[in-house]
Amino acid sequence: MKIVVLTKAAVPLSSAIRIDPKTGTLIREGVPLTVNIWDRDAVEFALRLKDRYGGEVIALSMAPPSGIPALESLIGMGVDRAILASDRAFAGADTWATAHVLAKTIEKYIPDYDLVVAGEETIDSTTAHIGAQTASWLGVPYIYYVYDAEVKGRTLVVRRFLEDEGVDEVYEVDMPAVISVLKGSQIPREVRLSRKLNAREYIQVVSNKELGLDPECVGLRGSPTLVAGMAPATYPPRKKVVIQGEPSEVVKKLVEILKSEGVV
Amino acid sequence: MKYDVVVVGAGPAGLAAAYKLASAGFKVLVLERGREPGAKELYGGRIYAYWLDRFLPEFRKDAPVDRWVRKERVTLLTENKALTVESAVLEKERSSFVVPLVSFVSWMAKLAQNTGAKIVTEVTVDALVRDEKGRFVGVQSGSDMVQADFIIDAEGVNRLLLERAGIVKKLEPHYVAVGVKEVLKFENKKVLEERLGLDEDEGLAWAIAGYPTEYLPGGGFIYTYKDSLALGVVVYLKNWEKLRTPVYDLVERLRLHPYIASLVKGATLQEYGGHMTPVAGINMAPPRFYYDGLLIAGDAAGFLLHTGVLIRGVDFAIASGVLAAEAIKEAKSPSAEDLSVYEKKLRTSFILPQLEKFRGADKLLGDEALFKDLAVFSTEAAYRYFNIDDEHRTLLEAAREASKKTGISILKIMINMLRAVRSL
Amino acid sequence: MSLKYFTIEERLNANAWDVDVHRPHIKIKDPERCKKCEKKPCTYMCPAKCYVQQGDYIVLSTEACVECGTCRVVCPHGNIEWNYPRSGMGIWYRFT
Repeated sequence: MKIVVLTKAAVPLSSAIRIDPKTGTLIREGVPLTVNIWDRDAVEFALRLKDRYGGEVIALSMAPPSGIPALESLIGMGVDRAILASDRAFAGADTWATAHVLAKTIEKYIPDYDLVVAGEETIDSTTAHIGAQTASWLGVPYIYYVYDAEVKGRTLVVRRFLEDEGVDEVYEVDMPAVISVLKGSQIPREVRLSRKLNAREYIQVVSNKELGLDPECVGLRGSPTLVAGMAPATYPPRKKVVIQGEPSEVVKKLVEILKSEGVV
Repeated sequence: MKYDVVVVGAGPAGLAAAYKLASAGFKVLVLERGREPGAKELYGGRIYAYWLDRFLPEFRKDAPVDRWVRKERVTLLTENKALTVESAVLEKERSSFVVPLVSFVSWMAKLAQNTGAKIVTEVTVDALVRDEKGRFVGVQSGSDMVQADFIIDAEGVNRLLLERAGIVKKLEPHYVAVGVKEVLKFENKKVLEERLGLDEDEGLAWAIAGYPTEYLPGGGFIYTYKDSLALGVVVYLKNWEKLRTPVYDLVERLRLHPYIASLVKGATLQEYGGHMTPVAGINMAPPRFYYDGLLIAGDAAGFLLHTGVLIRGVDFAIASGVLAAEAIKEAKSPSAEDLSVYEKKLRTSFILPQLEKFRGADKLLGDEALFKDLAVFSTEAAYRYFNIDDEHRTLLEAAREASKKTGISILKIMINMLRAVRSL
Repeated sequence: MSLKYFTIEERLNANAWDVDVHRPHIKIKDPERCKKCEKKPCTYMCPAKCYVQQGDYIVLSTEACVECGTCRVVCPHGNIEWNYPRSGMGIWYRFT
């Protein structure tokens, strides 16, 4: 089984990203990059499938060369090899243009893939677009919020969990397919010394010279998304009200206050 | 997996050793638990250059330096009074500098890598591995083992590996202090320089005793980076029962002190951290610095000199790493006997002699009355000397009044001063 | 001169860190023993306020831990099992 994991070098869980109040742009100084925390679930999911059914797990990312350490980390976890699509022409891409590069890289370098696995979303963009858009570019089915899967011949039986509805669902899907893994659903394995030791040797960097994508379809130029502006979120001021009295009265008053504040 | 040398920890000691050994053709592996060298490291803020010129002269060429220290300030601080002494060198002095440790260590890592040392990050070492004869032959991380002819333990102050190997006992509170630190960033370097009264690119090192630790052993510090400063407090763990402010609020308490607040007004908090530091120097050294196949360097060996105002860790760490590398180069075999040359080198270098010389500093600095008496008495005496009312006091009169007010005898202060000038 | 006090939470949020939620690197060996601990030095010696007293017990949250090791040294009962985080998790200093 050949499994591709889509991954991004993102900020850590706590990253102290701040927005410059004067310019409205992100302060990049000292903001380090590592594997997007939710991609670790995707990697663990893929590695477990490999443990069960054999095959190969390949991590795929689009990033500048600063994305290499994150891929080394994934090799450390047990991913067999990684491909980094890296080109100045890819800079400024939105999710659509990114998914385009990812899909075309898969078609060119891993044409015999069986499954593409993505994390639920990135911690620093939280669009949850990449899985769906990559499936769309590849022309294969897409299932999200997956937490478990079983292979039956060319069919993948997946279980997914819809948190809001509290519903557990089972789907059968023909491979190749794209799935995204429910965040927090896996226990990602640790980085191992023996794997990390020569991690760089398992990373292939490809540029647009090899991929040959139309410059109009990648990077900023290939991105339909326009960033109109950015502003730091402001918290509404806190209020403190002490309500005293009989519990039934207190609850009534509390509901009234919440209604008048527009909370409920 | 087999290397000539495995170094545990990509800090100043480990990287210095790795650099020297890789330069000499050894196959060197450095294991670092952080995501990058320096990711787990924190110090006050200053590196002394004198011994680096002997042990790592390359730093003069292209190591990052934020500011060369040209002003040394020492303040005795109470709730409402301060007495500050400043020593300034107005020439282009280059004897110690301030730089974020992570920047300096990252420079050292590149130096080591360029000579062929391999640095692997995100790998936590769990144990030093011994063979059936008790010789150290490798390190264990999870289920993986790397073999090596020589191991350099530069794991830092917590020295879990040495403890697990049975070489040292668990750290005792009287061996260590905890340092907490904020990095406060100013709008630009001009603002920082104006606030602290510094010339362009001039660096300041500032030790503050008394108030920062609630008069307990330890002290506060300020070091100036390029456009930010390090503000911190170090407090001895052995005094934990007497501390009323929780450690997590100690730096804030100092930052909000009127004497400091006016200086750091408007600066934004860039980072907050904490780390332990050895304070017992030679008194917390492992029984030996060399074993079959193993050498111990840096904080793990207790190679940090702490005299209250002056704290030297990085130059000791780097020099010990270099000496460990030299010992390995000279040793015919990894036997303890052959590696004993490391201890000889430590003895003939500045490391052990200087640590020995200040053996008593630990005891004096740990004396609770010292800081309290000195800070309370001196600030009061200075206040009375400078404050003109009905009286215009001589220094002696001011001191007598201060003694009466604070209940601290002048004799006791003088005895303590004498002890201090002798052992610090 | 009055400046705003930064709460410990605000200060820790200024830092970069990651956490392995499935494998906390510090554990309290026997929570019952903390009940009998008179002075509970962990609750005020930890620079990151990872230890908080709730009722008789100590609640430990390792996520913003700065990995200094102080708790292990000051715990009078040797009741703290302390390891470094693995896989590069934990604090990631950038400016110190």
